[in-house]
Formats: sequence, structure tokens, C-alpha cells
Amino acid sequence: MSEHRMKRFKPGNVPAYILLAFASILSIFPFYWMFVMATQPSAAYNSVPPTLLPGGMLVENFLKVLDTIPFFQAMWNTILLCTSVTILVLIISSLSGFAFAKFSFPGKNFLFICILLTMVIPPQLGLIPQYYLISQLGWLDTLFGAGILFLLNPLGIFLMRQYISESVPDELIEAAKLDGCSNFRIYRSIVLPIIKPAFATLGIIVFTLVWGEFLWQFTVLRDPSSYTLQVALASLNNAFRVDFGMMLSGVFWATVPLIVIFLIFNKWFISSITEGSIK
Amino acid sequence: MKMKKSLLLASLVSMSAFLFACNGGDDSASGEGNDVTLDFWVFGATNYEDLAEAYEEENPDVKINIKTSELEDHHNSLFTAISAGSGAPDLTMIEVDQLDRYREAQDRFTNLYDLGAEEIQDQYLDWKWNMAENQEGDFLFGLPTDIGPKAMYYHTEVFENADLPTDPDEVSELISSPEAFAEAAGAVLEATDKPMVDSMEMAFRANMDALEVSYFNRDGELVIEEEDGVKNAYDYAVELHEQGYVSDFEMWTPEWGDALNKGSFGVEMAPAWLKGYMTENAPEASGDWRVTTLPSQFAGNWGGSYVAIPGETEHSEEAYEFSKWLLSPENQMKSFTESGLFPSTPEVYEMEEFTSNSDEYFGGQNTAEYFAEAAEEIPEVYKGPKYVTVNNEVLTALRNVQEGGDPEQEWEEAVERIEGLLDR
Amino acid sequence: MENVEKQQYVSSSKASRMSEKKKDMLSGYLYVAPFFIIFGIIGLYPAVFSIVLAFQEWNGLGEMNFVGLRNFTVVLQDPLFWKSLYNTVIMGLMGTAPQLVVGLILAVFLNMAAIRFTNFFRVTIFMPYITSMVAVALVFGVFFSSNETALANYVMGWFGIDPVSWKTSEWGAKFAISLMVFWRWVGYNTIIYLAGLQSIPKHLYEAATIDGAGKVQQFIHITIPLLKPFILLTVFMSTVGALQLFAEPTVFLGSSAFTRDEAMTVVMYLYRDAFNLGSFGTASATAILLLVIIIGAAALNTWLTSGGGRRKKGA
Repeated sequence: MSEHRMKRFKPGNVPAYILLAFASILSIFPFYWMFVMATQPSAAYNSVPPTLLPGGMLVENFLKVLDTIPFFQAMWNTILLCTSVTILVLIISSLSGFAFAKFSFPGKNFLFICILLTMVIPPQLGLIPQYYLISQLGWLDTLFGAGILFLLNPLGIFLMRQYISESVPDELIEAAKLDGCSNFRIYRSIVLPIIKPAFATLGIIVFTLVWGEFLWQFTVLRDPSSYTLQVALASLNNAFRVDFGMMLSGVFWATVPLIVIFLIFNKWFISSITEGSIK
Repeated sequence: MKMKKSLLLASLVSMSAFLFACNGGDDSASGEGNDVTLDFWVFGATNYEDLAEAYEEENPDVKINIKTSELEDHHNSLFTAISAGSGAPDLTMIEVDQLDRYREAQDRFTNLYDLGAEEIQDQYLDWKWNMAENQEGDFLFGLPTDIGPKAMYYHTEVFENADLPTDPDEVSELISSPEAFAEAAGAVLEATDKPMVDSMEMAFRANMDALEVSYFNRDGELVIEEEDGVKNAYDYAVELHEQGYVSDFEMWTPEWGDALNKGSFGVEMAPAWLKGYMTENAPEASGDWRVTTLPSQFAGNWGGSYVAIPGETEHSEEAYEFSKWLLSPENQMKSFTESGLFPSTPEVYEMEEFTSNSDEYFGGQNTAEYFAEAAEEIPEVYKGPKYVTVNNEVLTALRNVQEGGDPEQEWEEAVERIEGLLDR
Repeated sequence: MENVEKQQYVSSSKASRMSEKKKDMLSGYLYVAPFFIIFGIIGLYPAVFSIVLAFQEWNGLGEMNFVGLRNFTVVLQDPLFWKSLYNTVIMGLMGTAPQLVVGLILAVFLNMAAIRFTNFFRVTIFMPYITSMVAVALVFGVFFSSNETALANYVMGWFGIDPVSWKTSEWGAKFAISLMVFWRWVGYNTIIYLAGLQSIPKHLYEAATIDGAGKVQQFIHITIPLLKPFILLTVFMSTVGALQLFAEPTVFLGSSAFTRDEAMTVVMYLYRDAFNLGSFGTASATAILLLVIIIGAAALNTWLTSGGGRRKKGA
């Protein structure tokens, strides 16, 4: 922390600041616009030139949302779903990543390539057989059914493998083994603390992915009490009678929690280990 | 320290397992006693949720579980479920253009004639009812919900400036044929410099929606070149375009909404459901628009649905009873006043609430009677399972024409593309 | 307590006579098992199903008919398939390749100790990935509308460029969609690179500074080589992602997504076959062709990035 306070503005960094500021403005704009629309009556969406300043309907639009869909129930479901999936993906990925990075076993490369190959199947086509499976297994309308597909995360395994092979020194593992540590113990007490930044990265990516995914959740969840946010929000989008103010208010308030989540993960981004301990 | 970490890890794992598992208990609850739970998939803005609640009160042993979504999502997930052969709802809405897609899969639906639907046939408009039958007429896919009879929305100020009448009956008397429509468009363009029609699609639809046979005959064969209906509709749109009567406001875009709001074009040919959109999204135009009957050559239906019962259901009788109740004339009247779903049961058109209806947005006019008049004139059309895809190719051609393409060449290319599409 | 554990461990290892190697093997299989178990439950059947479908004629509802290789010949002879492949590659190059470069630069800046407000920038740069597709589609739809007053055309007017019809012109549509892809995924790659930068021990930079190496030299000689595994990862992911491009064009084009060919991608092509034309056989055949193309492209790109065969040996 003390290092942060010591940062002083250096003229040499001006180009970096300009680039970052520029990127930030562009990145944030649609989010800002979403906020603007969430505070306007529906007709503002149609105005030419576009409306760019907030109006006074922030609360009113959101109340309409609450009136139309079970917003908080859906948000709770979404939080449950995203949290469970994220935790499980982090565990599955870091364990396999550890195995692929540090153990040797026959067929290792073959298995790794198999995992990467699963990423290559276009997901749009699997919908019908997957739906069939889930309905046969009785997992329709359950968060388990809505979540299981996301547990297959080749990126996670790939990322963990790369991170662990770079940042966990072999000597450290060997030393631990000499001390009589079991492999799981090594994973728990040596690997896990080192890979915090990778956890943060993968965590935020997975959490956001599940939070925003629509098609699969929509297909599996049919009972309004099991709706996640995206599924609930979809019923606000109805071309014949669309109320853009209400719709974007729903979308906006459904996005805000993700920023909080990002800030939570953000704490892990900075690795504590690489700063000193490996020397 | 290490203890703490492993504890944390263990608790995380058990927590996620718990979070996942705790949501699975819902299904068992529905099976208690003799209670029946009906899953009902709905799209668009309906009042079916309220009606279902009323039905539950009258029938305490029935619970209705409604899932509402947007038109496209709704039909995609329905197709997925029907195709997978597992996990379909007990009742579902099917939009009229999507219905033909399921004709081949007749065995996956319940024949409503087996449940006694013949008894209530008289309540509904013939053309609407017949479109839900199979070719032999012995299988009924669904009961009619709403319909989309098209009428003409016109902007009074634009008409006034062009020295055209503004009284609904005078307008329909003047614009009584496609030729008269083009003439009025000429007057509008000359006086106001505004186009009469918002887009090529609308100009094309004017004739298209009125065609009994369009792309396919009832055997599913492409007859686009044998029958000249589609080509005539195409030519008419091209002609209006060449005269400068057609603008390029694509429906549902902000520019289109803005144009409705400001009266940037003279006429919109659309069903009653457009009223809901206009009131909400073109508030400044309140009082500017009126509704009247279209020339009979343009009388067509756009939209509307059916409620079908997938074959998988174990409660087909309960489902049928509910849908019969839901779509009865009295409840269609409620759906009309509450959600603007235009009734498919003509006796509603005589009801007091219907005839005394007055639309503030349309300057106090009773627009409903014009839609009702149109409803009775609609031909029974056959679209075919690939109608939407095929139609899109022609719309592409029309858009290209608008951007400077040669009409004949674009037409031929579209026909070629359509033949390619069907050869799969 | 640790001593007790250690003793138990030693004795048990003696008793089972498991060698260190065997134990590693066992752990290895055990740790990668969850993925394969879940894949077995939910992933395998759809994959096999798609392969079988490629040789069948099926409309999603009726009977399946075996048609041999006909689906493949139909697709390969369809000019629209080749057009969509061309579109996919072009938009992949325009939208994806710059992402990786810009993402890397942003990550390096965000990782610099001398830069302030990094937390703030990190959040904002990740925003596009968070922002809902509904909002993105509406915003891009407004800015890139074909209307002359639309923002994109207005800005182009400053440079004396005529207004473009962004949804229906060959390059207009590709450009707008590529920009959307670029915009949406830069932050994603930046975050992955940030993780990679965190895996590089700081003392290497300290040593280099003492040796008098400048920032640029450090970047070339320390950052790039040590970041290579992560660059490989993003190149692989982006190649796959680019060739499976679907969401952005569909959402941007809206109702005309599946009717025009300017920006139709291969996955849109197969989606249209399956869900609009009821031709699941040709859709699956396309998926298999795409699979082969993706594997080829990903292997090639990964090989090129890793320096043409001079691969770092795996652990």
C-alpha cells in the first residue's frame, strides 16, 4: 500500500495516461449511455440526434422493472449460479492446470489437446442434444442444469497451466516433497497462494461470462422462480410494446453488481509472491 | 495458518455444492395430491398472467406456470424442446408464421379435435380457425388467440397539407384501390415533400399479406414463378419507389420511431398492435394519426397466434380446458382492452365495450371498428414452413433496388437464391 | 502436528511402496479427471450427435435419412459458404489481431508501478466485457445507423468521406462489426496479459535496471519472452473465438442478420441452415468443416507465435 502513495506524476508517462484515458472513455461510453436511457422515458431512445444527458426517471423506470419481473429473486439466483460456477471452475481448473504443468503422466499432452479441442465445437449446434440430456436427467429449471455447461472451461485449465508452469518454481515443489508434503498439500499451501492473480483473472472472466450468458439459461430455466437475471430481463424486451427506459433500466441495474464483483476480485490481481519470496 | 486455508477451501467447496443442490427441490412440490401444474409458454405483451390467476382461483386444483419471452427466443426454445422430444410445456403459444414449421411434426402435438374443439369452432373467424388445421382438415394444432388485421394509419397533418380528406371514412372512400393509393402518394409528395410509405418492406407487404397463395402451394412446392402474386407485389413496391413515394425507415429502428413521432411519412399499414408501440414511443404525435380501412386489395393479416398443446403433456385435458377458457370471447375482450390483443372471436366486435371504445391517442376515434371491419375480409392464406426465410430474400432484393439496383436483375437473383435455399 | 503428519506420510508411503513417480501419475489423472467426467456427462453426447448428423438429412423434427457425404458437397459447392468463410477471416484479422497488440500495450501500462489510478483504469477497460450485449447492440446500432446524421457518418464527414450504409455495404458492415469485436474483447485480453505480467518475478526487472537496460529493452528482453505462454494462450483463444464469431454480427445486424451476405460468418451460416432452413445435416457438416479449419488455423497461429518450432520445453 505504501508504494501506492509514493507514486508521483511523471511527465514521461503522459502518453500512457492519454492512451489509458482514451481507452477508458471509449470503454465506458455504452455503459454511460445505458445509464442515460435508464433515466429517460422510452421515447428518448428514438430522438435524433441521440439523447446524451440523464433525465429524471431513474427511480420511476426501475420501479416499473420491479413491477414487471421478479428482479431481486432473479438477481439472487444469478448470484448463486455465478458464485457456484466460479468456485467450481477455479478449483477444477487450478487442479488440472497444476497437473498439466508439474506432473508427468502418460497421455498428458493428448489429454491436454483433448481439452482444447472441446473448445472448438460451435456451441450453437449442441443445443438440442444438450437440452435433451438435461431434460432426461431432470435438471430443467434447476440452477445445476443451468450451470453445468459452464463448468467445462478449457480456457481456465489453459490459463492455470501457463501460470503455474511460469510462476511456481520446480525447486519449491521438490523441496516440499522432500519435506514429505503430499501433492494435494503442495497444491493447497504452495500453489494456491502463488496463483492468486490467475484466480482473480479467471474468476472475473467466468463470473461475468455466466452472469451475461442468455441462450442456455433461457432454454433450461422455464419456471419464473428459477429465472436468472438475463432470462428475466428478456421478457422486458418485447418489440410490439417496448419501453426502452424500463428495459435499459433493468439491464443497467443488472450490470452494476458486476462492477462490485470486479472490485472484489481486483484485490487479488497483484501478486504478493512474485514481489519477493522467490529468490 | 494452513488449517485456516484448508478450512476455507473445504467451506468453499461445500458451499458451492450446497448452492447448486438447494435449488433442485422445486419439481417435487408440483406433484402433490391431485393438483395439476400446467406449464404455459407465452410471448409478447399479453394479459395471460392475470387471466391465469383468475383461472387458478376458480379451479384451485390447477396451477398455471407462465413463462413469457420475446417472440424469437420463444420460438427458438419451443423448437429446441419439440425437437429434443423432451421438456416441452403443456401449453404454448405459436405465432401464425411459425405454425407451418410444425406441420410435419403433427405427431408431437395433441389433436384438439380429439378433445372436442369442434364445439367451439363457431366462435372464431373461419379463416383463422382453418389455418390451424392440417391439409385434410382432421387435425387441429391450436386454438386461435389474437389476430392482426391490417388497417391504414395516416397522419392527418400530412394529408391536410396535401389537400386530401382527413375524415376516416372519406379517406377510405378516396383510397379504395392500389392505384388510388399511388395517386394520393403523389399528392402527398408534391405538397409536403414527404414519402407516403416508410419502407420498401411495407410497400411490398401491402399486396403480400393479401395473397392466398404466395411462395408455396399447399404441397410445399415453390410457385413463385408460376403464380404472379409475389411478382406483382414486388413490382408495385418498385413502382412506388421509382415515383419517390417510399422512404428507408426500417421498422423498429430509432429513425423509424422518430419518423412516426414527427410524421415524416404519410401512411403506415399495420395491425392494431402498432397502437401500443405508438402510444409509448411516439408520444408527441398524440392526436395526429387516424386509422381507416385499407383498399380491399391490401386487406391482410399480420401476426396473431394460436395456443397449442404439445403431445408430451400428461394433462392434455386440463390444458385444453384452460385454453378454451382463456380464448373464450369474454376473455378475448379482456385481452383486447388490457393488452391490445385483437380478438379472433367476431361476437366481441358487437359488444358494448368494443363499439364504444375510444382512443385518446387517435383523437378520440374508435379505431377498433376499422380493424374489426378488416378482420372479416381477410383471406385464408397458406404461407409454408420456410416462408420467412424465402420472404427475406425478396426483401433483400427490394432493399438493393432502393440502393440503386436494377429491379429485374435483383428479382432474378433473389429467385435463384431462394431455389438454392430450398435445395438442402 | 506437522511432524506427526510427516511420519504418517513416510510410513504409509513405505507400506504401499508407491514410488514418487507413480504417485505423481495418480495425482495427475485424479486432478484432470473432473473436467473429463463433466465432459462425459454433458459434452460428449452432443459432440457425437453433431458428427452423426453431418451424414444425415434431418429437419429437426422428422425422421433422419443417411445421405453419405452429400451434405459436405452441398456446403462446399455453395458460394455463400465460401463468402462467409472469407468474411469470418477478414473480420477476424480486422477485429481480433489488433486486440492482442493493444491489449498487451494496455496491460503493460496498467502494470507499470509509476502509473496512478490503475484500479480505476482496470475497471473501465474491462467494462465492455461486462456491459450487456443488449446495450452494446443498441449503442452501436445508433452510432452506425445508415442515416446521414448518425455519429459514425457525421465524424466521417469531417474528413470529407461520404456517408456509408453500415449495415448493408460490403466494407461498412465488416468494419463496424470488427470495431465492435475489438471494442468488446480488448479488456478481456488485457486482463489475461495482466495475470501474465504478474507471473514475471520483479527482481528480473530490478536486475536489468541495475545493468542499465532501458524500459524498451526490458520490454523486449524480459517481458515478451516471459509472457510468451500467455501470448500463446490468447492467440489460441482469439483464433478460435474469431472463427466462431456469432454474437456481435447477429446483434448488430438485427433483423437482416441472416438474409444478407456482407457480414455473414460461418457460424451464422450454419445457424441459419439449422434453425431457419431446417437443415441440420448441412449445418453439422459445416460445423465439422469449421472444426477442421479452426484446428488448422489455431495450430498454425500457435506455431507461428511460438517462433516456428523453437518451443519452450514443457515442464
